[in-house]
Amino acid sequence: MNVRTNTAQVHARRARHLALAGSIVLLTQLALPAHAGPNEQAKRIYERLAGVPPSAAVLAQMANIINTGCGGSCQPGDPSLVSAAAIATAASTAPTFYNVTLKNWVIPWTNRDQTVFAPLNDYAATVIGMVRDDVPFNTALSADILYTVNSGGLPAPSNASNSHYATAEANGVDLSSALKQTTQSGTYGTPTAATAGLLTTYAAEAAFFINGTNRAMFRFTMINHFCNDMQTLEDTTRPTDRIRQDVARSPGGDSRVYLNTCVGCHSGMDPMAQAFAYYNFNGTVGAVMNTGTMQYTSGQVQPKYLINSSNFSYGFVTPDDSWSNRWRTGINAALGWSPSLPGSGSGAKSLGQELESATAFASCQVTKAFQAVCFRAPVSTTDMATVASITSNFQSGGYKLKQVFQQVAAACPGQ
Amino acid sequence: MNRNLVETSTVSDSRPRRAARALKHGAALVLLATLAACSGGGGPGVTVNQPAAVSGVSSYTGPAAQNADVLAFQLNLWVNISPANRCGGCHHAGGQSPMFARSDDVNLAYQAALPLVNLTNPSQSMLVQKVGSGHNCWVADPSACAATMLVWIQNWIGSGSSSTSSILLEAPPVQAAGGGKQFPASATSGNPSFATSIYPLLQTFCSGCHSDSSLTPQQPYFASSDVNAAYIAAQPKINLQTPNLSRFYQRLADDMHHCWATPSSNGAPDCPGSAAAMLAQLTAFANGIPITPIDPTLVVSNALTLAQGTIAAGGSRYDANAIAIYMFETGQGSTAYDTSGVTPEADLELSGNVTWVGGWGISVGAGGKAQASTSASSKFASMIQGSGEYSIEAWLAPANVTQTNAYAVSYSGSNTTRDMTLAQAAMQYQGMTRSSVTDTNGMPALTTTTADGAAQAALQHVVLTYDPVNGQRIYVNGVWTGDKDTSGGGSLANWDSTFALVLGNEVTGQRQWQGVIKFAAIHNRALTAAQIQQNFAAGVGQKYYLLFGVSSLTGMAQSYILFTASQYDNYSYLFAQPKFISLDKTATVPGGLQLSGIRLGVNGALVPAGQAFTTVATTLGGANYTAANGQLLSSLGTVVPVTLGPSADLFFLSFDQLGSHVHAWVDPPVTVAPPTADNTPQPDFGIATFERVNRSLAKITGVPITNSAVNAQYQTTQQSMPASALISAFVAPNQTAMGQLANTYCAQLLANASYRDAFFGSGLDASLNSSAASFFSSAGNRAIVANALVSNAVGSGVSPQTATAVTGEVDNLLQLVPTLSGYGNATVSTATQAACAATLGSAAVMLQ
Repeated sequence: MNVRTNTAQVHARRARHLALAGSIVLLTQLALPAHAGPNEQAKRIYERLAGVPPSAAVLAQMANIINTGCGGSCQPGDPSLVSAAAIATAASTAPTFYNVTLKNWVIPWTNRDQTVFAPLNDYAATVIGMVRDDVPFNTALSADILYTVNSGGLPAPSNASNSHYATAEANGVDLSSALKQTTQSGTYGTPTAATAGLLTTYAAEAAFFINGTNRAMFRFTMINHFCNDMQTLEDTTRPTDRIRQDVARSPGGDSRVYLNTCVGCHSGMDPMAQAFAYYNFNGTVGAVMNTGTMQYTSGQVQPKYLINSSNFSYGFVTPDDSWSNRWRTGINAALGWSPSLPGSGSGAKSLGQELESATAFASCQVTKAFQAVCFRAPVSTTDMATVASITSNFQSGGYKLKQVFQQVAAACPGQ
Repeated sequence: MNRNLVETSTVSDSRPRRAARALKHGAALVLLATLAACSGGGGPGVTVNQPAAVSGVSSYTGPAAQNADVLAFQLNLWVNISPANRCGGCHHAGGQSPMFARSDDVNLAYQAALPLVNLTNPSQSMLVQKVGSGHNCWVADPSACAATMLVWIQNWIGSGSSSTSSILLEAPPVQAAGGGKQFPASATSGNPSFATSIYPLLQTFCSGCHSDSSLTPQQPYFASSDVNAAYIAAQPKINLQTPNLSRFYQRLADDMHHCWATPSSNGAPDCPGSAAAMLAQLTAFANGIPITPIDPTLVVSNALTLAQGTIAAGGSRYDANAIAIYMFETGQGSTAYDTSGVTPEADLELSGNVTWVGGWGISVGAGGKAQASTSASSKFASMIQGSGEYSIEAWLAPANVTQTNAYAVSYSGSNTTRDMTLAQAAMQYQGMTRSSVTDTNGMPALTTTTADGAAQAALQHVVLTYDPVNGQRIYVNGVWTGDKDTSGGGSLANWDSTFALVLGNEVTGQRQWQGVIKFAAIHNRALTAAQIQQNFAAGVGQKYYLLFGVSSLTGMAQSYILFTASQYDNYSYLFAQPKFISLDKTATVPGGLQLSGIRLGVNGALVPAGQAFTTVATTLGGANYTAANGQLLSSLGTVVPVTLGPSADLFFLSFDQLGSHVHAWVDPPVTVAPPTADNTPQPDFGIATFERVNRSLAKITGVPITNSAVNAQYQTTQQSMPASALISAFVAPNQTAMGQLANTYCAQLLANASYRDAFFGSGLDASLNSSAASFFSSAGNRAIVANALVSNAVGSGVSPQTATAVTGEVDNLLQLVPTLSGYGNATVSTATQAACAATLGSAAVMLQ
């Protein structure tokens, strides 16, 4: 039988064999006792971080570090494991940590569907670059920072399209080496004062400033960087003075809905989402990514902040982009706001500083990294302690996310 | 009680323009005569708004009206009150004084009526207040009589004016905020509880109607078999502070409503006995609830109830052509009265799931509708056909923005025949009018644009107008939606006068609209944009000015914090636009008087949600304060929950600072419990996600991801592979997609000598097309494949158990393939590819 002349038949039969053989091997593997030596720990750490099996040389290098440090396999969290993990996050020995693991970690944050099946964009590229270069991640929501791809044959980065990044991904450009740090103000022409790190990237604006009332930017920032959707942040005891006119006070004729539910989110969200009052994304909603142009109208409140004003004419009328964090008291004080910041300000940049300085922000980054590497939520007593410890290290160690990944990989190396 | 009166703020209100009004009516009569002469008996008759007035006037045989104002009185008020079944039954000539309804001389009636009418504030007229208190009201609801009487008086003195008048603020009684009683949390809480005190009486004697399981169910269901549901429904009827003001007691004692027999009544209904039994249980229940003391550290104002505020006269509405008005003031029973004053009154019968809403309104639920009789509804056809125009005006709060084919206001006969309908279709409003340019179902309809999203699940002022030029237009919250009626206008001569007006549904009950209707009116003119804006600005519902006394805190005579307040719906009050003001115009604000942090309280406790004035911080006085208008503290408003009910809730204000009185507000400490650990063992491994699979296969085989064959396969199966590493989310299609991609990689691996030799060495090269059965009968040859797969896919020195397992499986598979039916001639290439795909698609690679 010739494979090339009878492909369909062969494929059909092969599939049957593959299913059979694959199942047998899978069951065999699952049935094996869990015992990990230095080689197994090295392989797991590398695979978890880089997403692919290590080369024999890298495996040996990592296994040697583990074996030398622990005289065999290491206990979770051992410094030798962290040292070995550093090899699995180095651009030279593990480019797929950036091209695969980090990229797929970030992409769901950049669209409303939270799908990982979206093209590379400036938001993801900037996170990848910041991790690679150990840029303090507590500037991620406020800095005038952007990473572009330094490779030939790409469209120029622009405030009207993310094709620069999508093309780079399609071309298989190695992000671990090609990313280059620059500024949003220089690349997009956004006023420096209006830049707010990831919040003002093209991808974030396209996803969360299009249509609507700009509250989506706040909500998805909570989801992506505080690991809490609005339902888990509800606090109906906060003052309601900044809730906009478009929020019906008696939805469907029942004000209990407003008082018991709507107030819980809007009393905190509206005063903070006011920071985005000058932003808009003029564009078209796409199947996965939206297309259009970023817009910033300094000193002029976007009309979307004033829509449906007759829903409750006594509601708040947005006059500017000043914001106030009402969650510094009440149950959301537990988010750990920085005592060195005033809790109010104007514009997205200072709001970004408020958010990125909170303990919940740091904890969320660690939690997400833990889930990405350990393949489980940190809900056990041990894992919660691990996350707390790594969060503390993250905050005191200059907010280096790469180290977070190394530490969480060392926390679940297999035993 | 010391009540002071002072003129303060100004609001829009109607003023008398008698002469102009009289001329207008005189002109209307002339016009009527002219049109009647031209009609020749063909086509619909022409009618003005007050048909009863015309007949009444025609039967009048006394002296003619001496001037235009007397004529206006005669046409608008006298003709309506002179019949014997109304005021004329007693206040006739020679009857009870004052004889303002006498029929012998309208001029004398006019003289007698003048002292009974407040020309500045018609709602305060003696005539209105008397019928409003129940004095000889000709329908069951005194508020409906009052509203109707008010319309007649306004028609007389001229309601079309737009001049303004002053509101007289009345100082409320001085009451300390004190403490208050709160309803226990559940029906079984308290000593005695609701379940053991009041509820047994309700269930025994009221469940025949006031229960959802009754054959004739009537809201509210305070006698429901579900005690918790009954408790919620009963609370508004119970006055904890003063039990004998409870509605449950008053209905028995005063209204003699459905009294029952008592042991001493020998089987006959015993209202005093029933009332006493009810009062005993109400008192026991109320006495069992301790008073919640007010925090003594708070800086508080005096307290008052909603009813102790000054009634806001409200903005002036334009109702000159209203032929039906529904204000839904009644609040109980099954009839919503038409208070337009235009006979016949098209009162609405509430049926099905329709409940009254606090602050005036009805709530229409599934199966509910409010419908007028066809005979009374016939006035719509006759009066609108005469004018050729109409407007449907309503304050609506749709229950949702997903309901379609939902008819809010309709004058129709079936699902497919109508004269006019205002409907909701998700986020759009629709107008349907039968005319010479549409069909008998009013089609094609006018529908607002989808992008506009005109309909919101919030209280909205919606007006559908129709005129012969523009056809239909829809205005939402005073603004025309901009949607033009492509059918244009036409004649309404084909209207059917046998239809019925129905709200919240179609007459068939098959076009349900759900939501709250707080006001509805039918006009036989197309209201102009300015008139609609005027009516929108006038708002809806009863409003009060609440004066919270703060003189003891400010040191300023008769100083108050003034709120505009109203009952917003069944569950909340609206408090808006606080002002600082003194009723003593000569008083001066003390220098440097600081005010900050206003908090609303009720019944001795600060309200838990909806505090919108806590951030107020200002210095009172100076240029911001005027004796006439006070000082605006905030332009905002907020809603706060109903606690004991509108008749009993006692409001007060608390301040962080007012003058020298300071209460440093500290948010109550909140203890957030740390998340509870879940130590249920979790899988320690996961599945490689889609791109990890692709990159792993590329790295293992050496075939680049840009290879056209594997890239094509990857693009095809990418989203069929796992998106998450969670083993619990792994499903069979994931395995299939991963296997297909592994197979493609293996095919490319074997097809390319460079990749193949790097992976397997050169041991297979010469035998690729040889018989697998022969070649792999050698253990050494099988080892070429097995060892390469283990080395590359599992790794050297890693997981010996896995390596052993894979080696064994591959070895078996290579021998098995040639024995399979149809594979006797399988080549080395085929068998090797199968072994490769089996290994690369297996857990050895895909499990991480």
